[in-house]
Amino acid sequence: MIEVTHLAKSFIGRRGRAKTLVKAVTDVSFTALDGRITALLGPNGAGKTTTLRVLATLMRADQGTATVGGFDVTADPVAVRTELGVLSDARGLYTRLTARENINYYADLRRVPGGECASRLAMLAELLEMRDLLDRRTDGFSSGERMKVALARALIHDPRHLILDEPTNGLDVMSTRALRRLLRHLRDQGKCLLFSTHIMQEVEQLCDEIVIVAQGRTVAHGTAAELCAAAGTDNLEDAFVQLALEARARESGAAQPVEGHA
Amino acid sequence: MTTSWTIFRKELADAVRDRRTWMIALFISLLSGPAVFLLVSNFVSGVEEKVAKREVVIEHAEYAPTLVNFLQRAGATIVPAPQGYRDQLRSGTLGNAVLVPPVDFEQKLERGEQVAVEAIFDDSHDKAQAVVRASIRLLAGFNRELGTQRLFARGVSPLVLAPLEVREVSLAPSQARGAQLLFIVPWAALMVAVFGALSVAIDVTAGERERGSLEPLLANPLSTGAQVLGKWGVVMAYSVVIVVLTMAGFMVSMRLVTSETLSALMQLQWREVAIFVALLLPFAALMAAINMLAATFGRTYKEAQTYVSYIAMGVQFSAVVPVFLTVRDAPWQWFVPAIAQLTVLMRALRGDPVGTSDLVIPGAVCAAAAVICLALQARLLKRETIVFARS
Repeated sequence: MIEVTHLAKSFIGRRGRAKTLVKAVTDVSFTALDGRITALLGPNGAGKTTTLRVLATLMRADQGTATVGGFDVTADPVAVRTELGVLSDARGLYTRLTARENINYYADLRRVPGGECASRLAMLAELLEMRDLLDRRTDGFSSGERMKVALARALIHDPRHLILDEPTNGLDVMSTRALRRLLRHLRDQGKCLLFSTHIMQEVEQLCDEIVIVAQGRTVAHGTAAELCAAAGTDNLEDAFVQLALEARARESGAAQPVEGHA
Repeated sequence: MTTSWTIFRKELADAVRDRRTWMIALFISLLSGPAVFLLVSNFVSGVEEKVAKREVVIEHAEYAPTLVNFLQRAGATIVPAPQGYRDQLRSGTLGNAVLVPPVDFEQKLERGEQVAVEAIFDDSHDKAQAVVRASIRLLAGFNRELGTQRLFARGVSPLVLAPLEVREVSLAPSQARGAQLLFIVPWAALMVAVFGALSVAIDVTAGERERGSLEPLLANPLSTGAQVLGKWGVVMAYSVVIVVLTMAGFMVSMRLVTSETLSALMQLQWREVAIFVALLLPFAALMAAINMLAATFGRTYKEAQTYVSYIAMGVQFSAVVPVFLTVRDAPWQWFVPAIAQLTVLMRALRGDPVGTSDLVIPGAVCAAAAVICLALQARLLKRETIVFARS
């Protein structure tokens, strides 16, 4: 289970020569349960990637708490990293190594025993349809091929929790389908899956729970049906637009009423 | 330790497959060091040959048969000055002095008057210097011979003109003169340690950031210290290979050297090679650590190259300092990396004794500085501004 409570994170940015405080996340709270696929849905710049980076212990929150499998990200980062598999925004592979070597490198770093590693790799290659890729150097891989290798790399130690940052970015239909199949398979095994996206279709097809994030805040949390009911719309896209716009209006202090339809 | 070893193995495989890295390494170690060496030895042997030939260039030798006679008795070959010799002297194609006796040389000599003989040369050409000096020494010999004869003719002892007898007792070991010239050999060896593994140092740091593999790597449950250690190990392994190749190149070049004088002047036997390796390895360890530290600030390979070039410049500058120092082997020199290595290497080549402390102090300073650099880098990798800076 992943729990996030009142998370806040800001950065020092630069506007010309002047330093400014950029608030990336102001108040994000949600719970992602085991055996569920939870989506962090939000427009660009909503604070999704920052939230995931805090969960991956790559960034420290200014305020609030976050736990992964019961371990606090600030107090016990090593335990959190052990629990997690991360498909980060940066998919960086080592282009002079083969796909198999890239994946085995992470298995070695996480001390996955050789036999277990081989059988898991075979299983992941089957599910992701990437057997032909394994012994090719990753130089020149398409974005779909890179995603598959990066995902296999993040899953090689069989983590109980998986966070994915915009996993379907730049993928074709076949790769997207392979990814969906794998994520459902993992959910059915009882794992906790959290992924960020701004693609509505992805969320509807795949997710059990949806957390809408806008302007650095959680604005809604529930199933697709619950969100539609809350917004008084009949489809998720309209519900999303309405809830996100309401958040923006609240943030800027505007008193204008928010339109119900896009 | 297991983590460091895993990272070491991976980075080694990665670096070995990078053909550019090998090309640079081979180019630097096998070509530049020994190439410099061969140039120097070629230079020395060229000078030797010319001095040994004892050619004296004279314009209008027919004006001064007495001088020509003396020069021939002294074993010199008389060469008539070529047309337009001034230009040839300036360009360096004529690397000697041209002697110009006046048309009334013999008459003035006979009357016992002083005769002005011009010696025209351009000593801005290093190679010409020794030959020019040899020609002028011959003229001084002529002076001495004729002066002595004249004094005898007047019944005066020639010793009247030499109240002081200067006996030169040089304490410089036999190799000392060679080492002055061969400063270039330790310098080249030092530069190999600076530049040899530079591309690997950048690749494992800024390169990791540029290709976006740093973020996923840091999401693994590893200490940044273990990561830095594993990567440093690979950069160091590269440096070791390059230093060893360079020394092998020096030894091979030494065998090819034809100049006996040079071989006698410069000591580069197994003992010196061992001293070179013992000094260069800790220095290479520091260079690996400091280059990695600087490159960590780079968001791209290119940006990192700018940062490490400051370090390379600093080392190149400080490596030249000992040449200009009036006090040789001052104690502080042992504590400044690059200067310490160069000072001791030059001592070794000069044939001066090199003691344990000459190796231990510079080595310990380098090792301590390397540890500090690695620790700083491990801390930097925990900073969000380094991992995510404007990426």
